[in-house]
Amino acid sequence: MSIKQQISESNNQVIIAIENNFDFSLHQHFREAYSHCNTPKTDFILDLSHTEYMDSSALGMILLLKDHADNLGGQVIIKKPSDTVNKILEIAQFHRLVTIEK
Amino acid sequence: MPKANLLLKIMLAAVFSLLINVIFFNVYFITVFFVLTLLILVSYLLFNLNKNESQAREINTDINDSKIDNTLLRHSFNEITELLDETITIITTELDRASTLVKDAVGGVSNSFIELQALNAQQQVMISSLISQHNSIGDEDGTTLAHFVQSSGETLDDFVKVIINTSKQSLETMSFTDEMVKQFDGIFNLLEQVENLASQTNLLALNAAIEAARAGEAGRGFAVVANEVRSLSVNSTELNEDIRNEINNAKITIAKLRQSVEVMASADMTSTLEAKDDVGVMMNHVEQVNSKTAEGIDELLTLTPQIESAVSTGVRLLQFEDLTFQTLNSLKEELQYITMVSEEFKQFNQLPFNRDAEHLQIIANKAKELKSTLSHANENRTVMQSSMDEGEIELF
Repeated sequence: MSIKQQISESNNQVIIAIENNFDFSLHQHFREAYSHCNTPKTDFILDLSHTEYMDSSALGMILLLKDHADNLGGQVIIKKPSDTVNKILEIAQFHRLVTIEK
Repeated sequence: MPKANLLLKIMLAAVFSLLINVIFFNVYFITVFFVLTLLILVSYLLFNLNKNESQAREINTDINDSKIDNTLLRHSFNEITELLDETITIITTELDRASTLVKDAVGGVSNSFIELQALNAQQQVMISSLISQHNSIGDEDGTTLAHFVQSSGETLDDFVKVIINTSKQSLETMSFTDEMVKQFDGIFNLLEQVENLASQTNLLALNAAIEAARAGEAGRGFAVVANEVRSLSVNSTELNEDIRNEINNAKITIAKLRQSVEVMASADMTSTLEAKDDVGVMMNHVEQVNSKTAEGIDELLTLTPQIESAVSTGVRLLQFEDLTFQTLNSLKEELQYITMVSEEFKQFNQLPFNRDAEHLQIIANKAKELKSTLSHANENRTVMQSSMDEGEIELF
């Protein structure tokens, strides 16, 4: 499994870490990692420090995650993206949509 | 006056000898010597006075003196006249030649200045068209290269947005499909219950048939009903099987749909990354070219007025043509004085000998008159413009 999910109830935080490839094959697991969490004001932290490759479906998944977070009144924070991944996020102009922490 | 010195020496010698002889000779001798010395002195003084008077008289008397050799005079005048005439001819020819040369040279220089100015104007037009062309490479709407590159970048951004939205929509479709698959599983559960019902009905029909057989002749009609119920349950089981098959087919179709959606959702972003980099490089390149071109055009624009002013200076300096012609013309005019003098000499040579002195006087007076006219004309000329820096002249 290249997805690790960690829920910390006290801080209203869900941490999702992706390893290696972030692509379509993960979509079901990725959705399951957040779809059950319906606590208002939850922040979703996406740890991309070990992500090596990302395609457009990954960006689509992040947008769906953002929709989910928006519905809950929370936000999405992307942490430590690699250079390649960061470039893709820049091209997609994601820095305008979500917080990217380097 | 060496003669006077000599006389003084003689007198001193005489006085000296007198003093010596006072002792040795008698008074008579002394007196004779003294008188002789006095005579010599007086005669010298008289001679000197005479000489001064005769010199003063020579200038006055020469004019009225007709003793000059008239033939020699005419011969001399003839030579002078010929020399003057030849000189006048040579000077006139040279002046004309100088005028022609200056005129040709000035004409050429002025033409080349006009050409230079025309070329300069042409260059300015070309620069202007270059500027406008530079600002609007492409169509008439003024699309610049920079604008094109920028819009390419924007198009690329839009393209990326479309890809991401497609991915998002596909993933949503995917989750709906997953829901649908779950609902199919629910339908399978329901079908199983229906199959159970059918098999129970079948058992029930079997039991009814057994009971009908035990009843004998009386249960014959009931056996027919039980048989019908059984065949109904079999039909129902077959129908269930058909529904199961159809739904399985639908599941296969959904698996295919899943694959299609996966292809739709997963676009590789590497080529887009490269394209984005290319656009960035291109944008920088265009900016560099723009700034360099702008610099070049600025330099060209400052050069143009400099050329213009250099040409104007050159044109203004061409005034020297006028000044030179004025000088040459005045030289020509002044030649007439020499011509007049020459004419006077010629007339003199044709007159009879006896009034030569009178005519020489006339020539002298004429020369004096011409000289004063000449110096008057020269004064007027020096007042005229002598510098080329004064005043401005536009192209002629």
